[in-house]
Amino acid sequence: MVRVLSFHLARIVGTSFESLLRPHLDFLHRLAWRFTGSVADAEDLVQDLLLKLYPRRGELATVQQLRPWLAKVLYRQFVDLVRLRARSPGAGLADGQEEELETLPAEEAGPEQHAERGEWRERILAALAQLNPEQRAVVVMHDIEGYVLEELEGILQAPLGTLKSRLHRARQKLRAHLGMEPFAAGERVKR
Amino acid sequence: MDCRSFALRVDDWIDGRLDKAEQEPLRMHLQGCAGCRRGHEDAEALRAQLRALPAPAMRPGFAEQALAKAGGPRIGYRAVPAMALAASLVLAVGVAAILFAVRPEPAPTVTLSVQQPESVHLVFNSAKALQGATLSLSLPQNVQIVGYGDQRELTWRTDLREGANLLQLPLVLHARTSGEFVAVLSHGESSKTFRLKIEARPQG
Repeated sequence: MVRVLSFHLARIVGTSFESLLRPHLDFLHRLAWRFTGSVADAEDLVQDLLLKLYPRRGELATVQQLRPWLAKVLYRQFVDLVRLRARSPGAGLADGQEEELETLPAEEAGPEQHAERGEWRERILAALAQLNPEQRAVVVMHDIEGYVLEELEGILQAPLGTLKSRLHRARQKLRAHLGMEPFAAGERVKR
Repeated sequence: MDCRSFALRVDDWIDGRLDKAEQEPLRMHLQGCAGCRRGHEDAEALRAQLRALPAPAMRPGFAEQALAKAGGPRIGYRAVPAMALAASLVLAVGVAAILFAVRPEPAPTVTLSVQQPESVHLVFNSAKALQGATLSLSLPQNVQIVGYGDQRELTWRTDLREGANLLQLPLVLHARTSGEFVAVLSHGESSKTFRLKIEARPQG
């Protein structure tokens, strides 16, 4: 009867998927939270991503730049989730941002500074929630995470010109929502 | 430059996409336009606020839970056949009584498809149970164990049972090259080296 070298086998099979994905989970969770504005939605998004990728773990090992590849798949999942929920009456993303603020990392600040920071965070999060998923993703990836537009062409699957215009409109909407000074007389916010 | 032209270029400026000469007309415009100056200050402030926006840390235990749920009951040796591995071959490597007095043999050859994970099975036949044997693997260039990236040397301790001991290795060949895979099995003062030639499967 054939015996399996179970220790090694368990290690190979059980950890190969984990060893590939584990180093990226903090990043994916952060990105998912920035996309959705909610810890519950972020966890759902990451969980769905892992479920989707597990059967493809052989393919994962051959991906040269795994992090941007994962970001691209997560972004597609996010857009699909928003579209799906838009078709479901009564469902929406980015609820519960007040609750999320309580889980943010503590900072060295006095009560007044903390309150001010909490207030602007809330305002920024509320403004981000006004963006459509494509606009939100480009703001998250470019303005928050610091990717350059050329990198985002691959991740967000859109040409440079489209990304620039998407970013421009997203910023207009954010500034308008935050009561900031618009550029040029008559600058209009487009959806 | 008028306000509308300024508005069209200001994002490129803020994002550092303009060289000094291209920035000059925008700077000039700001000197004479209080509205655009305020807008520019607000845009810079927004950019700084976005960049500083913190995200909550991942809930403790979430990563392990999510990975386990993704693998679910499929994790374990029975998962190997379900990995959509394109091919599987069995290679019997005899381990003689008290291991290792096996006559020299030419290295057997395994063919793999390029960029296609395949399962290679090694069977170690042992005449008796061996506790605490050490198994070391050395991979040739362009061959990876799925999930281990560029790691070419792997060593671990394991117990061999009497009879056949199966080691399933999900390998992927990244280029049309050949090389030698080496497995060294050691126990106490004895050791045995197994060699396996890995070649790319002919196309077509």
